[in-house]
Formats: sequence, C-alpha cells, structure tokens
Amino acid sequence: MWLTSKSLRFFSNLKRLNQLAASIVLTAVSILAVLPGVNAQQVLDTPIIQLESSSQWQQTLAEAKGETVYFYAWGGSKPVNDYLRWAAREIASRYNVRLRHVKVADISEAVSRLKAEDGSKSAIDLLWVNGENFSYLKEQHLLLGNLWSSIPNSALLAIQKLPLQNDFGVPIEGFEVPWGVGQFNIIADESLFSHTGSKQNTVTPSSILAVATQNPGRVSYPRPPEFHGTTFLKQLLVALSNKDQRLFSAATPQAQEDLLPLLWNYLDQLHPLSWQQGNAFPSSNTEQLSLFQQKQFVMTVSFNPNEIEKEKSEKRIPATSHRLYFAQGAITNSHNLAIPKAAQNSAGAKVVIHFLLSELAQKQKLNGSWGDPSVITPLLDEASTLPAQQELHSSWQQVIEDKWQQKYGA
Amino acid sequence: MATKIRRLTLSTGWLIVALVAGLPLFGVIVGLWPSVPISGADVIRFFAYNGLTLSITNTLFISLAAPLLALYVAFMVYSQYRFNPRWQTLEKRLAPLLSLPHLAVALGLVYLFSSGGMVFNALWGLFGQAAPDWLGLPRKSLLTMVLAISIKEVPFFLLILSALGRQLAIKDWLLQGKALGYTERASWWLLIFPIMLKQSRLALLAAMAYTLSVLDLSLLIGPNIPQLYAVVLYNWQTGFTTYEQANAFLGNLVLLVMLGLLIFSIYVHEWFAVMRLRTNAIMANPFRIARISQIFTAWLSFFSLLTVAILATFLLWSMGWNSQSTLSTANWSFVLWQDEWFFMQRPLLNSLNIAFFSSILGVAVTLLALELQQQTKRKLPDYIWLMAILLPQLSMVYGWQVAHTGLSGSYSTGWIILSHLPFTFAYSYLVLRGPFQSLNRHYELVAASFGYTYWQRWWRIRFMLLRPALLSALAIAFSVSVAQYIPTLMIGAGRVTTITTEAVAIASGNEQSITAVYIIVQAALPFIAFLIASILAQRIRGSFDAEHP
Repeated sequence: MWLTSKSLRFFSNLKRLNQLAASIVLTAVSILAVLPGVNAQQVLDTPIIQLESSSQWQQTLAEAKGETVYFYAWGGSKPVNDYLRWAAREIASRYNVRLRHVKVADISEAVSRLKAEDGSKSAIDLLWVNGENFSYLKEQHLLLGNLWSSIPNSALLAIQKLPLQNDFGVPIEGFEVPWGVGQFNIIADESLFSHTGSKQNTVTPSSILAVATQNPGRVSYPRPPEFHGTTFLKQLLVALSNKDQRLFSAATPQAQEDLLPLLWNYLDQLHPLSWQQGNAFPSSNTEQLSLFQQKQFVMTVSFNPNEIEKEKSEKRIPATSHRLYFAQGAITNSHNLAIPKAAQNSAGAKVVIHFLLSELAQKQKLNGSWGDPSVITPLLDEASTLPAQQELHSSWQQVIEDKWQQKYGA
Repeated sequence: MATKIRRLTLSTGWLIVALVAGLPLFGVIVGLWPSVPISGADVIRFFAYNGLTLSITNTLFISLAAPLLALYVAFMVYSQYRFNPRWQTLEKRLAPLLSLPHLAVALGLVYLFSSGGMVFNALWGLFGQAAPDWLGLPRKSLLTMVLAISIKEVPFFLLILSALGRQLAIKDWLLQGKALGYTERASWWLLIFPIMLKQSRLALLAAMAYTLSVLDLSLLIGPNIPQLYAVVLYNWQTGFTTYEQANAFLGNLVLLVMLGLLIFSIYVHEWFAVMRLRTNAIMANPFRIARISQIFTAWLSFFSLLTVAILATFLLWSMGWNSQSTLSTANWSFVLWQDEWFFMQRPLLNSLNIAFFSSILGVAVTLLALELQQQTKRKLPDYIWLMAILLPQLSMVYGWQVAHTGLSGSYSTGWIILSHLPFTFAYSYLVLRGPFQSLNRHYELVAASFGYTYWQRWWRIRFMLLRPALLSALAIAFSVSVAQYIPTLMIGAGRVTTITTEAVAIASGNEQSITAVYIIVQAALPFIAFLIASILAQRIRGSFDAEHP
C-alpha cells in the first residue's frame, strides 16, 4: 500500500471536556515545568536533575532495563529512519533499552491494531501520532496518561513559546508528549513571487493566483483530505477572511455561510489555472514535491520549515529555491509521542521519550538530515521559526473537507 | 477397517482444506461486522457521496479492461511464440519480466513516459527544446492505470497459458484445423482460444479482484477527481466517525456487489467471444484479430526493453541520480546501498523463510483440495477456493487480527506463515487447477493395467506430469507471499519485518532514491524464485511436451 500520512481529521462532536479538570491538570503541569524565574538556564538545570533523581524516575529506569520498546512510526522518510537508528544506538548504550522502529506506511495501521486489541495486552509500546488519530485514541481511553509529570525532560518543553498544550484543538493533558513541530510553508523559486507585489518571503491568495496566471498548469495542492492540502485551504481561508475570529471557535452554520464562499470563489478562479485544470490533484505533499523536482510544478508545500535546506543540500531542487509562508503567519502544530495504556513496556517507552526530549537528541534532530524543529526551550531558534498562525478550530477541518468533496471532488 | 481409515483420511483432508480455504470468509465475517448500527439514513447518505457513481464505474471499467486486455495480448503473444524457436527464449525471460512489482512498473512508466517524463525530454532535448506538455501519458488517468496494470499482467497470463498449454494437444488441434482448411492463425482463435479462455477464468478473476482493490496504484496513477473506489473505501475504513464507519461497512458490501458484477462479466465476455468466433467461422469472415496478432511477434523485445529501462531508472535513482542532475553532474555513490544493506539482511531472511514455507504448504494444500474433489467427484465452484483473492483484504486481515489477539497468539513467524497460507493457496489453486483437471488420463490407465496401485500411479505419473505446472505454482505462491504487506504487519505486529513491510513503508514517503533501493531488492526475491522454476521446468517436461519434442 502506498500511503502518505493520512489526513488529520477529527470529530465535530468532540465531547465537551470537563473544563475544570483540564485546567487543574494543566496548572499542575505548568507549575512543574516552568518554575517562576527569568533566568532560563537556571530554571532548566535544576528541576531536570531533581526530577531525574526522584524515586519515581529511578524506579522507571530500573524497570526499563533490558526492555525492548516497539515504536510504531511512519517509515516513509529516510532521514527520520536514520535518526531513529541513531537514537536506538544511544538509548541502548545509555539506558540498556532496545528501541525497535516498526515502520508503518500510515499510522492509522497502529490505531486499527489498538482498536482490534481493544485494551488487552498491546503489541505497541510507543507511537508517533497527532491530530485525529490522537483525539480518537484519547476519547477511547486507549492512551496512558500523566506522561508530562512522569517524564523529567518534559520540563524542557517550550510551552511558553510554542502551541504545545493542544493537538489540533484537542487538549493534550499529558496523554502524549510533543516531539517536534511542523510549520506550513511553500517552496518555490526565488524569482517566482518577486514581482507579485507581496512582502518579502510571504505569499497571499492574490499572489498565488497571479503566479498561476503566469504559469498555467504549474500550480496545485495535495488533494484534501490529505492534510497538507487541507492546511493549504485553511491558510487561504484565514487570509481571505482577514483572520475572522469565528474560525477559531466551533464552525456554526452562520459562520460557514459567511466565510466559506470566500474560499470557493477563490478556488473557482484558481482551479482552471492549476495543474490539469483541477481535474486531478497530487495525492500527497511528497508527490507534489517530486513533481516540483521534475519541474512540472513551480511551487510545492511542506510542513517542515527545514525541508528546503535538506532538499537543496541533496541537490534535489534548484539552489535558487526559497521558502515562503502565508503573510498572516504559518499554521503551526506539533507531532507527538504517545504510549498505549495496554503497552507491555511502558517504562522503556518513557525512557525513550525522555531521551528524545533531551537536548542532545533534539539537537541531532534539528541539525541532522531530518531538520525537524525542536520543542525544547534551550534550542528554540527564533530565527528559523516562522511567524506562527494558530490552528483553526477542529470542527472546521471536517467542514472544509466535506464541502470541498461536494464541490470539487467529482 | 480399510473403509474406515479411508473415510478418516478423507475427512481429515477435507478439514485441512476447509480450514485454509475458509479462513478468508471467517476473517471477513469477523472484520466486517458493523461496529455501528446501520440505519436507512446512513444508506441514503452513503449514496449521496459526491462522485460515488463515477468512482464505481471508473473502477469497474479499469478492473474489466486491464485484465482482459492483458489476456488478449498474452494469448496473441503465446500464439506467435509457441511453435517458434524463440519460445525457449521467452520462457527463460519470463522470470525477470514477472518479478517487477506492480508499483515499479507504474512508477517507471509514469517517470519515463508521462508528460515531462524522461523519454520525451531526452528526445526533445536532442534539439535543445522542451517537450510539449500535452505529449505523453497523463499522470493521473484511467488510461495510465489501464496501461500500467495490463502491461504488468501480460507475463502473468503468459505463465498461466504456458502451464495450460503443456496439458493441451495444441499441435494436434492445429493439424486438425489445417485438415479442415483453416489457416493456422484462424485455428488458434477458433480451436484453442475458447478452451484457454475457459481455463483461465480464475486467473482473470484474480487479476480483476486485484485491480478492483489495489490501493497504492490507485493513489499514485489513478484519476482522483473523483478518487477510485479503493481509495474512497480506504479513507472510510481508516476514519473514526460513526458516519465513516457506516460508510465503510456499506462500502464493503458495494465492493462485494462489484465483485459479483465482475464474475458475471467474465461469463458474459466468454459467451460473447465464443459467439463472435462462431459467427466468424460460419460466415467465413476474415479474422481481423488474427492479423493484429502479428504485431506481437515483437512483444518480447519490446517488453524486455521496457523492463530494462525501468530497472535502469531505479538503479540510477538508487545511486543518487535525480531529475536535477545530468549524467555528469550527479553525485554517484553507493552510500544508500551500503547504509541499508546492513539493515536489510534480517528482513530478507525473514521474507525468504516465510515465503518458502507458505508457498510449499500452499501448493500442498492445493494438491489436496484438487485430489479430494477428484476422488469424491464433488467439484466445488471456483470462487469458493479463491476467497482469499476475492474478498476485501483489509477487513479480512482485521478479522484475523481480532481472533489472533483473542487467542493471545504470539507474534511469531509461524502465525505469519499461517496468515499467508490462504493467499498462497488461492494463487497456486488458480495456476494448478487447469493443468490438474486437463491431465491426460491415458498414462494412468496404462499404468493401472501394469498393476500399479493408486498411490504409485499418483506419484510416478500424475505428479511427474504436473511438475512443470507445480513449479510455476510454487514460484507464483512464493512471490505472492513475498508481496504480502497487510497480513505480515498486522499478525506479526512488527516483530517480524520482511523486505515488503520495509519497502511499503519506505515507498509511502515517495523519496525516489531510497524507494528504488528497496524496490530492486524486493523484485530480486521473486526473480530468484521464477528463475529457479524456469530452469527446472526446462529440464522436465509436461504431459504434452513429452509427446511433442
């Protein structure tokens, strides 16, 4: 099966979470994580050492010794696979824990396994997850909780600077731990947007339309429900509605009626100018990237802000390519690590998460071939981070996908 | 006493066969059981899905057109080559031609021949121009999909036809045709085509069922406004909302209806084809189709060239070549191979190990099933035996997984071999059924008159005559087992990695160079199997080859 990471969709009918309980947990976590103090360095050093020497953590370490952790993670990217091979070596030598990467073509395969196991002993110890898969697993009570409070390095998470409390609008509440962040960006040749009148390194709906007019048949986006495609539509909607505040709360019929036509009118203009006149779309961002590499497209989309550097250094795209983002800000979200409730090696899995959040591991992830942005405070690099744009309320995702299918899907 | 033992043996045999052949049905029943109650409103909403009708008709069209096209081409190739000195060459070359995975053929075709693809760019590049955009295969269309699948299936049908041909007195029939005053070409179509068509029903059905539910190709080269049915169904099946779950259940039912339509269409096509041939024969019309056949004298060279081109493309990719570089500026290196080779050895061994046992067991159970039907004179309809190929795999394996977890089964190789068995069984059944049932009884009669017992006759005569077909079945079963992704991952839970679980996961990322490495290695395994089978098959002869040196 040839699959790209599947679209991230979640329920429009999310259970109203108990606000009070949520805030209590969150406060507890933030007190743990961010001790009052301006001197970041000091803040970071003391609690980690304290937390690491706590009896609870020592017990986890002892339990983990000799365990094999089966980590279900998308295996479609060589840089990621190589990084995990490196991590496995480090973890084995430091903690005597064996990390096994179970490569899946799509993480929904892991979700379907958890569904089949139905809470009995799980074959999965750790999984790489976000968005709708997380919200489903959380809702079904299939995940182990209190991860933030039981893993020392969670204290390093940059919750002040990055949106790490929610995963696509669903409160994380310790059921998963952020591992990296994605920011939506566009890769194109330097000259492409230069005379569209938009600001340095930014794009707007009108500048994209101008580019499509000049290069008919060379612009497209991944077909929704693939999540890169849906995010592209979200970015357009934010821009076209001038950041209408209703996008950040539940999608009421009235709000849909007011805002969505802006997007459809725009797409009605864009599609005739886009690849195959909008009668076909790339199936995924990776397919779009390879079409960009083959010069069939003048632009491609990405969720990894550092992807462009990687592609350039491998000489897969022209050296004159550069990175752009939507003028309102790049939609930003995290991808995370979670442990099934029924995992058989949960201590080992916690040790793995602890290591993956360490400064060493996060640095290697950022500077190695993967180039995935860090989520911990000591490594926050203001320069490489794009101005962020909050995710839309989760209900909009389903609405946009369904309506798109109705309007353009056939 | 003797009858008791015989009865006991028979019932044990039936039990084994029923278990293997029935596993798919069991899996689907468990796996498809609707997790949410289905109401009338759900049904209405299901059919209101935008583009459903077109998606279904497109998918049905591809599933019908591609296998039929492949069968006709394969038959024409067979008729051109069978009594030609080049037949030996063709048999030798079938091995590499069969072992390229579908995905490789699709990727290679699109990369080489699509608009902006390598071939046209190179041609136009000679004159220093860019190739026009309208030229070449569209990247996502019915045409590309039909072409890719039919090109890939021709060698498969050739293998089936050659296994059948060994059991048929083709030469004698052609002679009789001549005696009646028909040209050889006309005799091929009038006398041999109808029987071969009938005998390859199963293979047709298998190819159709595959095309109907193939996911990676549908995503990659199929049209997506609207998406092909396999993709739509997969999206529902992996969704979590009650609405998606309901759609997935109904969608699977519709898939079964589509399958029924395909089975029906096989019979309709057969009736229609035989009718046409008959009218042609009676009216003494000229055979246009027979004239077309002549084109296919060049098939072997063409197809070999294509295979070599595709393989070369993948090799170049795996060594760091990409569309940005020309031959001189690429960073040639074997780094990828060196990197990955270390991690590939275990998956390779696992693949070999699982495929070896599951193919031998699959062929053994097939022989048992055929023999039992022969002995008890009870012929069960074919689709009962092919359920593993026909029923939706995702739901089926999901059902097995639920059962496997319920039994607290381990994640060992043994269970994975068991999960591959239904598939290897079904494919070896479709290869062996024709040869087994059209075996010439004459030899066994003669042996009986010499006083050989039943089992002696079975081993010494029937088994020996079947050997070439058995080898083909083994090779096909082996490659089917190697290609299994879903059962291996779901039953093995990632404890047992095979080259395919790695390759599929890697390919999902669309990174050319690393995908190429894994596809080449993945193709190498069936290649070895087919090669061994073809070398051995040339040393031993089937029943009619024995009479027609």
